[in-house]
Amino acid sequence: MQKSKKVLLLGHFGVGKTSLIRRFVSDSFTDNYKVTIGVHITKKVVDLPSGTKLSMILWDLEGTDELHLIRNAYLMGTHGVIFVFDVSRPATFQHIDRDLDIISKKIPKAPLLVVGNKLDLVDKGDIKGLLEENAIQSDYLTSAKTGNAVEETFMDLAKRLDL
Amino acid sequence: MLEAYKEEFLGNSIQFILLDKEGLIRESDNTCISFSNGDSIKEYHPFFESLEAVSLDEKEEFTFNCVHLEGDEGTLIADLVLKKNEEGFLLIVYDLTQHYEEYQTVAQARNESIIQEQLIALKNSELEERERFKNQFIRNFSHEIRNPLTSIMSITQVLAQTDLNEEQKRMVGFLTESNANLRLLLEDILSISMIASGKLALNEKDFNLQDLLELIQFTYLTKAKEAGLSFQASVDGKIPKIVSGDRLRIYQVLTNLLDNAIKYTETGTITFKGSLNQIRANRANIRFSVADTGRGIPEDKRTAVFDSFSQIKETDRQKGAGLGLSIVKGLLDLMDTEIRVNSTPDKGSEFYFDINLKIPLPSSMNEPEATEKIPVKFAKRGFKKDKYRILLVEDDALIQTVLFKFLSNTDKFYIELVTDGAKVMEEVVNTPYDLIILDINIPNITGDQIARLIRDFPFKGIKDIPIIGVTGTLFEEDLKRFKKAGINSIIPKPFNQEELLKKVFKHIK
Repeated sequence: MQKSKKVLLLGHFGVGKTSLIRRFVSDSFTDNYKVTIGVHITKKVVDLPSGTKLSMILWDLEGTDELHLIRNAYLMGTHGVIFVFDVSRPATFQHIDRDLDIISKKIPKAPLLVVGNKLDLVDKGDIKGLLEENAIQSDYLTSAKTGNAVEETFMDLAKRLDL
Repeated sequence: MLEAYKEEFLGNSIQFILLDKEGLIRESDNTCISFSNGDSIKEYHPFFESLEAVSLDEKEEFTFNCVHLEGDEGTLIADLVLKKNEEGFLLIVYDLTQHYEEYQTVAQARNESIIQEQLIALKNSELEERERFKNQFIRNFSHEIRNPLTSIMSITQVLAQTDLNEEQKRMVGFLTESNANLRLLLEDILSISMIASGKLALNEKDFNLQDLLELIQFTYLTKAKEAGLSFQASVDGKIPKIVSGDRLRIYQVLTNLLDNAIKYTETGTITFKGSLNQIRANRANIRFSVADTGRGIPEDKRTAVFDSFSQIKETDRQKGAGLGLSIVKGLLDLMDTEIRVNSTPDKGSEFYFDINLKIPLPSSMNEPEATEKIPVKFAKRGFKKDKYRILLVEDDALIQTVLFKFLSNTDKFYIELVTDGAKVMEEVVNTPYDLIILDINIPNITGDQIARLIRDFPFKGIKDIPIIGVTGTLFEEDLKRFKKAGINSIIPKPFNQEELLKKVFKHIK
């Protein structure tokens, strides 16, 4: 059975949304930061344990700290969301509650994963305290650079979309 | 005519495509992207998999800006308009690749700059946090070390007053000197940490500047002589006698400069000068300078000498922690002025600064702070009573011993000891005391709480007993709290006999 699901990646600019997709889709990484403007759309078909072939249409949206300004046309028909923040840059998660609230209002039914990226840039010992201090409950801590937990993140969402 | 212009300006930038409901091409003008009728647009790019969502929505028209359409012929960055019709959709593709590429360059610069700012701010806040932690650590450490240091210093002083043979006297002399150095180092570390943490506030009062300068000349004439150097002082007689400023900190700046000059000069002369630059708007601008005939400072080290723990040569380690000039710089910063240096290698250095000191108007002049010209011999003073009664509130056995020894040597006091703060009130109600010496960190009740209880007591004779607090806590906010509680004076730990007696005799009636 084949299904097609639209997945949005949201978050501030420079948090590594494009790099996460690149790591997941083509298992590659570059240190050169290139700003995403507008939207890049990529497709990856994954095989799920249920036997489903899930075509994940990954919408890599231009990063912004003003999520409420994202045009509804981009959000239309979204099945799942990955909200990405940068664990090394507090400005990207300081208002995470507000950001997640906006997402939940704009896309109420879609499963949402919260991902802290750039794990390679911080001391792992500091992470727990950092997340607790900011009351952040992240589903995954990833590193697009090393590949840490990237596959797991996307596959977890894929399984949720298969339900 | 218009058609020609349209052709020129729109050219290949707008494409119209008709699609059926499944996304198959019905008709295309192929201006930007080439399709054949019957092709599935969903195969061309995954963006078009969203056609289904569009068809399910109640809206008739949708615009998607800045969509990157990667195809075999390269990437097109376009605004896409999808308009529903009876057969399916009309898709209009506006090729804005060039426009968006230019925008991308601007966005790249903007985002990189914002990220850089955020990272710098983060780095700064981490550095500030570390600095705060370091200063807090130094403050706590300095505080904790005061008790044992008080014991060591005091016991050494008591030991020096016993019968000793020559060898023992020599060794006690070394101990005394080491204690004094350790105490200076501790004060320096505390000063630098207070300056760095912004906790040091100037305490400006009217004081006799000429007396202070005389004291300095008197002290350094001796110190220079001991170091085998000559000392020349020249103080302008036009410098006002009474000025308003932080006497202690001005003293600290000048003595640090002089100590530093002596430390780095092996032969020759130390020259101390004070000259009046001008008096304007009730402010005296005075230049102070300290010159030496030492080895001088290489040009590339002239800024670094003002950094904490800085010394010119590795071998200078034996000469102290290298905090003196850093403290001078920090204190002068607080006084809105700066230290300058002229130096010639192998010939010597001159450190100087100009300072503005307010001249108080005669009507507003406070009682100038007393200065210590020559050590006072307390026992020779005239007293109203033969003996005075002192209540000593102290729980530390070593400090008790030291205080007993220091006070009893004068034969002027009856001393009662209380080791529990809760028993102080009972004691002062039952016995008439002339003075209370109070350890601020006494168990069960703090020294400032005890002072408040005494000051709130309804009977004269109790509520006005002078209280001297003994503490290692010397931070500005604590000192203010002690004063507010009614503690008359503070003896900072570590202290010596002279410092203790000076305070005690000042407060007994």
